[in-house]
Amino acid sequence: MTAPTTPATPATGGRRPSPLRPIAAIVGYTLRTALPGRRWIGVLLPCVAAVLFGLLARGLDGDPTTDFVEVANVALFALVLPVTCLVVGDAVLGAEVRSGSFAFTWMSPVPTWQIAVGRWLGGTVVAAGCLAAAFAASAAVAGIEGSMGPMALAAAVGAMAYVAVFVAIGCVARRAAAWSLAFVFLVERLLGAALAGIAQLSPAWLARNVHAGLADVSEDLVRESMPQGWGAVVRLLVVTAVALALAANRLRTMRLTGSAD
Amino acid sequence: MTDLHHLPPPPPPPVAGAPLDPAFVADATVDARDVSVWFGQKVALSELSCSFGPGVTGLLGPNGAGKTTLMRAITGMLPVNQGRVLVTGQDPRRERSVYDRMAIVPEDEAVPRGLTPRQLCGYVADLHRVADRGIIDWALHTVEMTHAADRSMDGFSKGMRQRSKVAAALVKNPLVLVLDEPLNGADPVQRHHLITLFKRLGGEGRTVIVSSHVLNEVEAMAERVIVIVRGRLAAAGGHHAIRDAMDDVPRQVLVRSDGARRLAASLVATDAVGGMTLDGDDLVISTTRARDLAVALPRHARELGIRLTEVRPLDDSLESLFRELVR
Repeated sequence: MTAPTTPATPATGGRRPSPLRPIAAIVGYTLRTALPGRRWIGVLLPCVAAVLFGLLARGLDGDPTTDFVEVANVALFALVLPVTCLVVGDAVLGAEVRSGSFAFTWMSPVPTWQIAVGRWLGGTVVAAGCLAAAFAASAAVAGIEGSMGPMALAAAVGAMAYVAVFVAIGCVARRAAAWSLAFVFLVERLLGAALAGIAQLSPAWLARNVHAGLADVSEDLVRESMPQGWGAVVRLLVVTAVALALAANRLRTMRLTGSAD
Repeated sequence: MTDLHHLPPPPPPPVAGAPLDPAFVADATVDARDVSVWFGQKVALSELSCSFGPGVTGLLGPNGAGKTTLMRAITGMLPVNQGRVLVTGQDPRRERSVYDRMAIVPEDEAVPRGLTPRQLCGYVADLHRVADRGIIDWALHTVEMTHAADRSMDGFSKGMRQRSKVAAALVKNPLVLVLDEPLNGADPVQRHHLITLFKRLGGEGRTVIVSSHVLNEVEAMAERVIVIVRGRLAAAGGHHAIRDAMDDVPRQVLVRSDGARRLAASLVATDAVGGMTLDGDDLVISTTRARDLAVALPRHARELGIRLTEVRPLDDSLESLFRELVR
């Protein structure tokens, strides 16, 4: 085998593609690379579990609506939603930072907000899509057809906020998955249950209230002093925006080391 | 965080006609001044100053010397704790537009999962809003990856991954190309081809910075060498110039002649000779004063009527230079 001669470097020129090309490329790249086979298992298993929890609610003896809301609050919003989003959120940024391949994206003239938003959009499409379908299916299986829409919306906006939070954690901490777990189970579940101030900013608690407000469930099942329904949707949008702003800012100053470091 | 306002002033510009410090180049595109980087208690770089200009510069040093840290500092992947790094006059930690014309090929084997080399190049082209998509085919052809351009990189060998990453870097048409051990895993033919490519890119006026442990290949491709030992600049310049500058470093010279024994007897009283061994016609002279020996040897041979058939240093490789610097 002989080494071929290398052609001369072509001159670059011509009309520059649209400024939106990079962000579209980042979304496409995220969808293609961030979720290999094993990660999909981590996404789809909780979604299957969500449907099974719907069956469980149907099997309970009490009021069907009340039973479903209780199961949804305990299992779907507090467990399935964060775990699925954690798998996706870590995959779209934290895992790449750890492996060292994030340098391909970071070392570009693309503004960091576009990188953060592109990664978040890619992750949100997957997480929100899967969870909205699974949560709606869960309501259908439980026989509460009126909750299908609110459950789908709550899952979608909850996933949107969670993925943004986990992308931000991926920009701040090297062990993003561990910190994300700590956020969900220590901050949200433990502290959030006791302190209303933390619950006000918690995607899990806010997503619960989106469903509770829109599905018009009994007031006993709704956490007081928190926005409900569309108010909770707006609050989740704010949490998303703040998390993405933090992520974009941290991306500018982050330290990129290799997989061996 | 580095505070530019509290940095010591940069060294004054060289006086016209005065020789430049070999750690610096006149037409620098990358300029590192008093750079220190530490990780907790570990100092990775300590007040290192050097610059890089058009052409290929080899970055050498033993494992843990700080080569990769310097490359990451140059490319803005790591902030410096003290000092400053400028690339084409801009701080890469502050001006992301620097990345329009700067690329790094990291040592890590990691490549994006599930992507083909063509998709990776296309992604980089999209990020840089490259108009001419033909550059993707050019880059893949240049690193000889055309045959595997549409196969997933997941199953690639280390060498193929490295070449794919080099192709992705070339898509940017970089002015500054930083290559961390780019020849790792490449077979000998590919190494030769990549060395030729890097030399050509350097010849085109690009700043190519290459680190490698394959020292003879660095000798083959880099006209200038920066040696880092324990986070500090140990030497800079052409590898022969570095060797010459190290007057106190012992070295061995092989002398072949038609009168080795008589020549040895004559040279033994010379100050430039530290020791000698004689094996047939082969006379090996140990010296710490190579310049003096270079003058004395032909003079003695001429006076004795001895014909010198070969004179060459036995250890004038970067490998030996390394050993001496690390010692």
